[in-house]
Amino acid sequence: MITLPNECYYMIFNNLRPDHKNLFLCALVNRHWCRLVIPILWSDPEEHFTDIRLIRIFLLTLNAEEQALLIPFNITLPNHPKPLFDYTNYITSINNYLYYGIRNWLYDIKYKPFITECELENAVKCSLITMFLRTSNRYFSKDPL
Amino acid sequence: MDNGTSNSASENETITLKSCDGIEFHIDARIANRYTLLNNWNGGESACIPNVNGKVLEKVLEWCEHHINDPQLNCGDDDSRRRNTIIEEWDENFLSCDQDMLFEIILAANYLEIKPLLDLGCKTVANMMKSKSPEEIRSAFNIDNDYTPEEEEQFRKENEWAEDY
Repeated sequence: MITLPNECYYMIFNNLRPDHKNLFLCALVNRHWCRLVIPILWSDPEEHFTDIRLIRIFLLTLNAEEQALLIPFNITLPNHPKPLFDYTNYITSINNYLYYGIRNWLYDIKYKPFITECELENAVKCSLITMFLRTSNRYFSKDPL
Repeated sequence: MDNGTSNSASENETITLKSCDGIEFHIDARIANRYTLLNNWNGGESACIPNVNGKVLEKVLEWCEHHINDPQLNCGDDDSRRRNTIIEEWDENFLSCDQDMLFEIILAANYLEIKPLLDLGCKTVANMMKSKSPEEIRSAFNIDNDYTPEEEEQFRKENEWAEDY
């Protein structure tokens, strides 16, 4: 097969936006495609921000300072192995779905709040937004949360 | 790239293009003006295209001739144009060639900076990837899977959110 330069592959994969599933399947083809697709796939997860699997990846990316914001709430953060990519570097925008995602995750870990739930949700939100602002390589926009 | 609001060459003016394998084509000079495809064209009567062979150049020029009267898009329209994956019938037939030729056309359009043809080629390839499994894509494009099973599994886990809609 004739090899195309990366810029052409990038244009090809951009045509698949916003079909996240199709991009995911292309990323599974081989390592080269994976490296090209990941920045596009993760640039805007849109309604997938509600998915707790995505929230877990975000929580894995928190640094010590960002984790410290959550210490008073005594919650258990995910401790998977380090992700293959610095996925959050590629996030370019976040939206209200993130708020629902955080709520879904707290529900999933069956957090028993000893203070108001709202306060905890806000703390996780603050912690994640701080992380996004720190890690994102690109122009970053956020809808009012 | 000059997006060509001016098309100073007249209809009857022709120039000669020479492919890398020495094949000559006499084309409407407006094509050269429109796409500035001849970065090394000095405005004379002939120009050499070093990286494109005759077979591919013939196809590229066929496309340019067919689209010579198309309205020209501004740079700002790039994204919307790229995101629209609908392809006109003539273009679809034009790119219903073998895969090597399709990739050669994309390479040539990229090299010659013919953006609308480059977009069209990229859209065509993207459409070929739609609704296919990774295995089917590998087989269609003759690609080897170089993931280790462990890597693939971890990648799936970290990205499986994208699989659900």
